[in-house]
Amino acid sequence: MTEVRAEITANVWQVPAEVGQTIAEGDELVILESMKMEIPVVAPCSGTITAIHVEPDGQVKEGDLVLEIRES
Amino acid sequence: MPDTPADDRHQWAPLVDDLRRRRELALAMGGPDRVQRQRELGKATVRERLDHFVDAGTFVELGQLADSMDPVLAEKGYLAADGCVTGIGEVDGRRVAIAAYDFTVMAGSMGAVNEDKVTRLRELVLRQRVPLVWLLDSAGARVGSGTGSTFAGLGALFREQANLSGVVPQVAAMLGHCAAGTAYIPALADFIPMVKGISSMALAGRHLVKAATGEDVTEEEMGGSEVHTKISGVADLEVEGDLECLDVVKRYLSFFPDNNTSPVPRRETDDPVDRRCEGLYGIVPTAPRRAYDVRKVISEIVDDGDFFEMKPGWARNLVTGLAHVGGDTVGIVANQPMVLGGALDVNAADKAARFIWLCDAFGIPLVYLHDVPGFVVGTVVEQQGIIRHGAKMLYATSEATVPKISVVMRKSYGAGYFVMNGLSYECDYLVAWPTAEIAVMGPDGVVNIAFRKELEAVPEGKERDAKRIELAEMIRANIDPYVAAGHAQVDDVIDPAETRAAIAKGLAISRTKQVFRPWRKHGVLPV
Repeated sequence: MTEVRAEITANVWQVPAEVGQTIAEGDELVILESMKMEIPVVAPCSGTITAIHVEPDGQVKEGDLVLEIRES
Repeated sequence: MPDTPADDRHQWAPLVDDLRRRRELALAMGGPDRVQRQRELGKATVRERLDHFVDAGTFVELGQLADSMDPVLAEKGYLAADGCVTGIGEVDGRRVAIAAYDFTVMAGSMGAVNEDKVTRLRELVLRQRVPLVWLLDSAGARVGSGTGSTFAGLGALFREQANLSGVVPQVAAMLGHCAAGTAYIPALADFIPMVKGISSMALAGRHLVKAATGEDVTEEEMGGSEVHTKISGVADLEVEGDLECLDVVKRYLSFFPDNNTSPVPRRETDDPVDRRCEGLYGIVPTAPRRAYDVRKVISEIVDDGDFFEMKPGWARNLVTGLAHVGGDTVGIVANQPMVLGGALDVNAADKAARFIWLCDAFGIPLVYLHDVPGFVVGTVVEQQGIIRHGAKMLYATSEATVPKISVVMRKSYGAGYFVMNGLSYECDYLVAWPTAEIAVMGPDGVVNIAFRKELEAVPEGKERDAKRIELAEMIRANIDPYVAAGHAQVDDVIDPAETRAAIAKGLAISRTKQVFRPWRKHGVLPV
């Protein structure tokens, strides 16, 4: 299981990813908003999303768990 | 040639044979078993490394016939070159001094004699002013000889290395597991590539760590290339094999002069200096909040798309590296909107400051590519000391007297604009794209701070949001490169496709740059 964590304290802007979705390394899974920028959270590996821990308009702190991926 | 009488040859033969035998022993390193073991570890031998690194026939070895001369080690027999090969040879036609530790001899440990050899090499480097390259494959100090308080007299190597810093380029290639002394050598060098899987550096090896703290870790987990190129930022590059690592060192050295008073080498190219970079239209979105990979921008701009990135895996929100523009070597400092939106944090400031000092020390002009929303703000970064790290980047940019060119691509806010070589930083040529936003902060920030009372006077909810947007739009209208250009605070507004040509123009007009500062011993650096 690969945990994907927030690199920066931010607002959650968009969550295009869904649980169960098959993803490729580098795909944009969640878009955070911080420092006047859209900050994409990208897949560190290919696999299947097993859990998403954020929702739009929510907030994350640096290091918070954003989602989990089962590597393929 | 007169014939040598047979009798004379006969008299000399045993002496010459003895010398030849001694040389063969030195070249045999730690003997067949240890050489075999070195290969099993996936490493080339010290002699193979030198053959690969140095131009054929140019290596002048100093102290090949050295031995440990330590009575305590007498039972070990002859220790070839005392475990460290030193000398001066040519690398791509230019002289370089090399200290190459031999792991097959006492684990490449630093003993009294090999340290004398390296000391002599440093002296020669200081006299000849040529780059110094360490090929490190060494367990550190030779424990056993001199483990008592004769330690009190040691350590000159680090002081001398510190004093060579910025005088000659210093490179430490990590080609094995190195601890303590051989971890401080790279820390004091300018450039540190590490071989993946077979190299590490740590202040203490695993056995000492286990004894001192109880922690049970491998050398790789503690100080492998993954740690130092992605987490600690001590090393510059992760490389697959040891001979590939030496190729990377050659490439690095190709950008540098022999010393801080010799000219920076040029690299001629067929890539036209006025080549339009229309690829940038497809790389950089005009929408200011959208991210892109600034490394693609750099490849589009520099000669032949050839960019030598340093510390690519650490502090990825800022990109640093070497390239050429119109044949001139340049150091590039670029914000990376792909990571943290390009905002600067403690590690990015650290990475930038060190790179700026490196380029300035050796006369390499700096090119800053701005797309920075500012420094990251908040509790986390304050506790990390963002102020002193930000000050360090300000300091490095302020100190640098090499030609400094800035391209403001999109955002350049607040102190982010200053540390990225704003106009007031002895910037020699400052150009902005039509998308440039230079200001103390973004419109939303200004609204929340300067117009707080006006906002609070409006009922909360839709009405206040509308007011917020109205005020932000009003402020945004003044964040415009043509306002800066109108005040002649940018030298020009350029089409992104003209970026390469603009950098070349900046270099052309700043070749004779001279900056004079008041005398001082040295500044007090924020670190």
